[in-house]
Amino acid sequence: MSGLRTAAARGSWTLALCTLPAAVAPIDAQDRDRPILVASKPFAESYLLAEVFAQFLEANGFAVERRPGFGMTELLMQAMIAGEIDVYPEYTGTGLAAVLGETAGGGSAAVFGRVSEEYETRWGMRWLPPLGFENTYAIAMRREAADSLGVRALSGLTAIASDLVGGFSPDFIGRDDGLDGLAAAYGIEFRETRSLLQAVKYQAIEEGAVDVIDAYSTDGAISRYDLTVLTDDRGFFPPYDAAPLASRAFQEERPDAILVLTRLGGRIDVSAMRRANERVEVDGRPVVEVAAELLAEVGLGGGLAEEASESSGAAVRDADRPVLSALPRRMWENRGELVRQVLRHLLLVVASLGAAMAVAVPTGVVLERRRALAGTTLRVAGILQTIPSIALLAFMIPVFGIGAVPAVVALFLYSLLPILRNTYTGIIEAAPNAVEAGRALGMTEWQLLARIRLPLAAPVIMAGIRTAAVINVGTATLAAFIGAGGLGDPIVAGLALSDPVMILSGAVPAAVLALLVDWGLSGAELLVAPKGVAEGRR
Amino acid sequence: MALISVEEGVKRYGATLALDGVWISVEAGDCLALVGGSGSGKTTLLRAINRLTRLDSGRVLVRGEPVDRQDAVRLRRSIGYVQQDGGLIPHWTCLANASLVPSLLGRPDASDCGRRALGAAGLEPGEFGSRYPRELSGGQQQRVAIARAIAAGPDILLMDEPFGALDAITRTEAQDTFIGLRESAGMTACFVTHDMAEALRVATHVAVMREGRIVLQVPAGELVDRATGYAADLLEKSGVTL
Repeated sequence: MSGLRTAAARGSWTLALCTLPAAVAPIDAQDRDRPILVASKPFAESYLLAEVFAQFLEANGFAVERRPGFGMTELLMQAMIAGEIDVYPEYTGTGLAAVLGETAGGGSAAVFGRVSEEYETRWGMRWLPPLGFENTYAIAMRREAADSLGVRALSGLTAIASDLVGGFSPDFIGRDDGLDGLAAAYGIEFRETRSLLQAVKYQAIEEGAVDVIDAYSTDGAISRYDLTVLTDDRGFFPPYDAAPLASRAFQEERPDAILVLTRLGGRIDVSAMRRANERVEVDGRPVVEVAAELLAEVGLGGGLAEEASESSGAAVRDADRPVLSALPRRMWENRGELVRQVLRHLLLVVASLGAAMAVAVPTGVVLERRRALAGTTLRVAGILQTIPSIALLAFMIPVFGIGAVPAVVALFLYSLLPILRNTYTGIIEAAPNAVEAGRALGMTEWQLLARIRLPLAAPVIMAGIRTAAVINVGTATLAAFIGAGGLGDPIVAGLALSDPVMILSGAVPAAVLALLVDWGLSGAELLVAPKGVAEGRR
Repeated sequence: MALISVEEGVKRYGATLALDGVWISVEAGDCLALVGGSGSGKTTLLRAINRLTRLDSGRVLVRGEPVDRQDAVRLRRSIGYVQQDGGLIPHWTCLANASLVPSLLGRPDASDCGRRALGAAGLEPGEFGSRYPRELSGGQQQRVAIARAIAAGPDILLMDEPFGALDAITRTEAQDTFIGLRESAGMTACFVTHDMAEALRVATHVAVMREGRIVLQVPAGELVDRATGYAADLLEKSGVTL
């Protein structure tokens, strides 16, 4: 209010300007009440930690919105910078190597200091106190194989790697501090390297399809599958201390919530984390319950388990049930979430398809008038179509960030070709003799278009729209990878948690949706078919 | 007075000279047949009259006025046009097709015009008006196309091989209908054909074309006497005895 007093002294014009902050104050207050957005990476431990953050914040009176399995590191960074999420669990080593591109020097404290400093200066982000355990990469083999080969440490792989098949997560293969760095540090070259999702990695090594995998030192599955972790005897992997990473906006708006999360520092040790991971990954228990137990074990909980299991859409794994019989029950239990996902999915499809129709149909019509341009234009649209969908989605991130907007843009680009091509050929092939006669009898070009060409081309154009729609329903499931939501969410989360029922609870509705869209639009094709042209229609 | 005339008409398509300095003139009430083999330029010449094709040089006059100075759409609505395949609009009924030009002209009696024209072309409007083109035989479709061309009562009619796709009996019937129609309405017509016998049967005048030039232009009655060289060959091919 002191600003207001000064303004009054300077005159009414300045006063008007200075009262503006007062006018927006309610919005600001509303902003303070908005839920805290807690995100995670798509693997079990990250889900668990995010759920721990969420429950602990809720227990202290904060409203929380969960974004589990939001995306991998790059995506989360984009979202943090854009202020789309507030906090997520990150590992100091990942920040150092994958984000800052530096190599490890010194121990845990040195690395924590380094990432804290750089994140603060570059993005205003803050690493909160580490939770108390390290989850470093662990290179593991089957125990009996390690024993018979006499391998105990990574340096022991150098000589024998050329006989071994490695199975690594795409994340590990792709990053500098992953496979390439490891191979260089130890001089390891595997006979073959396969890219395996977390969901299938342990089965693959158990069946002997691969000999060496990357795991995490806190993985519950290491003991269950009887694996040996090879010692990092040359100290290649940097320390990976887990800590909450808070965005600039979060710190500025909610210092009280930051304070709460700070209290988690040093409370979760490696054995507590490994047990919790095991309950989720091996026993197939719901993340929400296990997170509540973890909080209780470390002395921070308070009977949140029952309440939380209702408030979150996290999965209850039906470990003893066959997948197919568990699926309907799971879908029914999560029906509210499922409906939201379906609506979100439809929104992505309808928005992108609508935009594509608005662009491609008029363009197709214009191309008929400018046929010299048609070849080039259709080729460009064709090239867009050949870009793998996940790559096209990734291209969108630097331009549009993450979330629904880049997904809609990518789906829009995918929809262009079928609609454009069908409009163009539909218009050209629409009774050229009748068009010629109409022109000779004095119809204007607009009359020819509106009364002969478009009505005759309508079913062909509609078929193009139908093709685009079906492609879009399928491709939109991939949009979950860039945080767009929809039916891809349970698929991505299910892949991360090795939960086939969860995968199907997204995949089956997506397939049904595609069939329904196809069926509905085939009806629309018949509806727009002009009378008198083909037998059996209307 | 000549209702249609072309003066020194030249048209090139790339390296091909489709019209090579053509002169024709059609008096009011006459019917000129443009006869020639394929590629002789006869269709190009016909299309130049209602400005479907624009000449590279020379000029076309319709009703004494150069077509380049007339509005193309209005010009075309004032001239009937029939093409070989009918060119009926497939998703319109025969009556809608026949009423096209009167309705383009905004005439309130467009449907009546269409009905009368169908009747004049030999089709019972009550029976055929509500049918779609594909439900009609080729000869019936061509009659609808003729009805469409005359529905607004034009004084000029252009036809591009109008009877070419019909079998012999249907063709003779359609020709007779057309001859009766044209004479009773006093329409001036110009039509393209490759058949000398048809030209002799339907037209009052015949222009023989070859490689973009008019090689002979005579009243139909004088054709047999004056045909020499190429024109005589055409006559012979069409089975007309000299």
